[in-house]
Amino acid sequence: MSTREIFDGRLEAALLLAPTLLVSVVFLYYPTALAFRTSLFDAGFGRAEEFVGLENYLTLLESSAYHRSVAISVLFAALVVVGTITVSLYLTFLIHEVDDGQGWYLISVIWPYALPPAVAALVFLFILHPTLGVLTGPIEAVGFDVDWFNDGPQAFLVVLLVAIWKQIGYNVIFMIAAMKDVPDALTETAELDGVGRLRRLVSVYVPIMTPTLFFLVIINTIYAFFGTFAFVDLLTSGGPANATNVLIFDLYREGFSFFNFGVASTKSVVLFLVVAVLMVIQFRLTEEYSYYGA
Amino acid sequence: MTTITLRNLRKEFDDVVAVNGVDLTVRDGEFLVVVGPSGCGKSTTLRLLAGLETATDGEIRMDDRDVTGTEPKDRNVAMVFQNYALYPHMTGRRNITFGMNATDSFTDEEIDRRVAEAAETLDITDLLDRKPQAMSGGERQRVALGRAIVRDPDAFLMDEPLSNLDAKLRIQMRAELTRLHAELGTTTVYVTHDQTEAMTLGERVVVMDDGEIQQVDPPQALYDFPENRFVAEFIGDPAMNMIDVAVEGGVAVHDAFRIPLPTGEAGDGKNVENGTAAESLADPEAGDRRKAVLGVRPEDLHPARDRPDLGETTFDATVEVTEPLGDSLLVHCSVGDATFKMGAEPRSSLEPGGTVSVTYDPERLHLFEPETGEAFYHSSTAPVTSDRLERVAND
Repeated sequence: MSTREIFDGRLEAALLLAPTLLVSVVFLYYPTALAFRTSLFDAGFGRAEEFVGLENYLTLLESSAYHRSVAISVLFAALVVVGTITVSLYLTFLIHEVDDGQGWYLISVIWPYALPPAVAALVFLFILHPTLGVLTGPIEAVGFDVDWFNDGPQAFLVVLLVAIWKQIGYNVIFMIAAMKDVPDALTETAELDGVGRLRRLVSVYVPIMTPTLFFLVIINTIYAFFGTFAFVDLLTSGGPANATNVLIFDLYREGFSFFNFGVASTKSVVLFLVVAVLMVIQFRLTEEYSYYGA
Repeated sequence: MTTITLRNLRKEFDDVVAVNGVDLTVRDGEFLVVVGPSGCGKSTTLRLLAGLETATDGEIRMDDRDVTGTEPKDRNVAMVFQNYALYPHMTGRRNITFGMNATDSFTDEEIDRRVAEAAETLDITDLLDRKPQAMSGGERQRVALGRAIVRDPDAFLMDEPLSNLDAKLRIQMRAELTRLHAELGTTTVYVTHDQTEAMTLGERVVVMDDGEIQQVDPPQALYDFPENRFVAEFIGDPAMNMIDVAVEGGVAVHDAFRIPLPTGEAGDGKNVENGTAAESLADPEAGDRRKAVLGVRPEDLHPARDRPDLGETTFDATVEVTEPLGDSLLVHCSVGDATFKMGAEPRSSLEPGGTVSVTYDPERLHLFEPETGEAFYHSSTAPVTSDRLERVAND
C-alpha cells in the first residue's frame, strides 16, 4: 500500500488526469499513430487507400530531391541554432553589461518574439523585397545585388535571417535569467584579475549557463525544423529551385498541394525520426558537457 | 609594499549615504581590520578601494598614485570574498591561474612557479586538480587565497572571508591568515562584522558606524579607551554596561550607589585625549553637577567577596539571572532602575533573587556624554599612540 494517499480513490485521480490524457490522445498520439499507418498506404484525396508496405519509404530513399530537402533542412537547422544562440548570447551580454535602460533594451529585443511568424515574414518581405524593400537600396548601394527571388543561396539566407531574428527574443529571456544567476562576485573577481569582457563571457558565463544553453539548443532545433514553416511559405514557397524546400514545407506541399497523403505521412515520420535522433545526440552531449551548480 | 590613503571618501546610493567622509591611512604592510554592524559602510569602503564601486566624492591614493577613477584591474589589488567566488567549473589550478592567463603578462613557467609556491604556502597542492564542488568551505577559501597571492598584489582586500566557515575552522583560518600576513607582509584591509575577528587579526582596527569612522586604534587601545559609546558597546562581548549617573565633585552618583572617580595627575601630558583631573569632570556650563553615562565592562565588576583587594567601595545589587559560561559565570544584576552584567567566579553560589555586594576595578571606569555619546573620562591614562597624536594634530 502506498504511504502517499493523495486522492480518495482511483476514480478521482483518473478524473483529474482525464483532460490532459484526452487532449494528448486526440491531438497527439492518435494522429501520430494514424500518420504511421498512412505512411504504409498509397492514399490521396478522392482515391481509395491501398496498402503498399514500405514502398513510400523506398521511394523517399531513392529520391534525390528528397535527399536534398533533408540536407537543406539539417543545414538550415544547424545555422538557425548556431546563429540564434550566438546572436542572442551576445545581445544578452550587452544588455547584462549596461547599467541604465536595461528594461528598454530587453523589451526591444524580445519584441519580435511577440510577433506571429506570418506577420514577421510579411514584414521582412517588405524590408528585403528585391525591388521595393527599404533595405534593398542601401544594400545594393554597397555593391551587392539583392535578387533572392531568383537566387537560391540568397533566398536561403533571407529565410535564415528571419528565422534567427524571430527566435532571438525567446532565447534572450532565458539567457538573461541564466546570466543574472551568475554570482556577482565572479564578475568582480574577473574584473579585478583584468579578464577582458569577451573572455569573461566565454570562459566564465557560458560554462555556468550551459544547462540553459543546452535547453535552448534543443528548443531551437525543434523550432528550426517545425516552427519555420510560415517563413518559407510566405517568403519563398520553397523556391527558387527548391533552395529553401525544408522538410516541413516539403511534406506540407506533398500533402496539401499534391494530395499524396501516403507519401506526406511518410515524410512526416522521417522528419520525426530525424529530429528524434538529433535530440538523443543532444541529450547525450548535454550530460557530458553541461555544468550543474555545486 | 603600499600605503593606501583615503581622503574624505563618500559614496551615495541614490539617497542613501553608505560611506560618509572617510579619512584613513592604511600603512605600508599593515593588517588593518574594518569592523562594524551590517550596513555601516565597511564593505562599501572596501569595494571603493577595489574599484568595484565608484566614489561619489573624495580621493583614494595608493602610494603616490591617485587611483580614485582607476579601473579595478589597474589597481593591482586582490580581493577575497565571503562566498569564495571560485569559478565553479574550473579546477583549483585553473581558478588560480585564470586571471594570470587572461592578462598575458606572465609566462607559463612563471605561472607554474607561482602556483607551486602559493600551493606550498597554503598547503593546497592536493586541491589543485579538484573542482570547488569537491572541496570543503575551508579548502575553497584557501584556494581563493591562493588566487589572491599568486598575483603578488600591492594590497589584499578581504570581505568577510571567514564568515561562511564553521566556528572551529574560522579560528584555525584566523591563525593561518595571521601567519600568512607575517610571511608576505602585504598591506591588507580586512572587513568583518565580528569584533572577535577584528581584535584577534588587526594590527589596527577601524570601527565604523553609519558610514563614518568611529575610532581607529590598536585592538587593546580600542578596548580599553573607547572614544564613544558606540565603540564601547560594539567592542567586547558581553558588551560594556551603561548606567545613567550624575557626576558630582569627582563622584559618579546613582540612586543606589556612589562611585568615586579616580583622578590622575593633571598635566602630566600623557593623556592627550581627556584630562583626567577632577576639574575636567565638571561640565563647564552646568557647573558642578552633570549628567553622564557610566561605562564598566562586565569583567571589571566582581562580587565583593571575590576581590577584597579592589577597595572599600561596594554596593548591593539583586541577582536576576545567572549564565554559566564555563570559564566564568555571567551574572545579570539590577540596582535601582539600572541593570548590568557582572563576571563572577565560575562556580560562585549566586542565586537569582539574592543580593550580592558588588565591587569594581577603579582603573577601568569610563564616562560618556549622554547626548553625543562621546567619552570624556577614562579612569586610567590612555597610552600615547601615533593615532592619538595624529588625531590631536588634526583637531
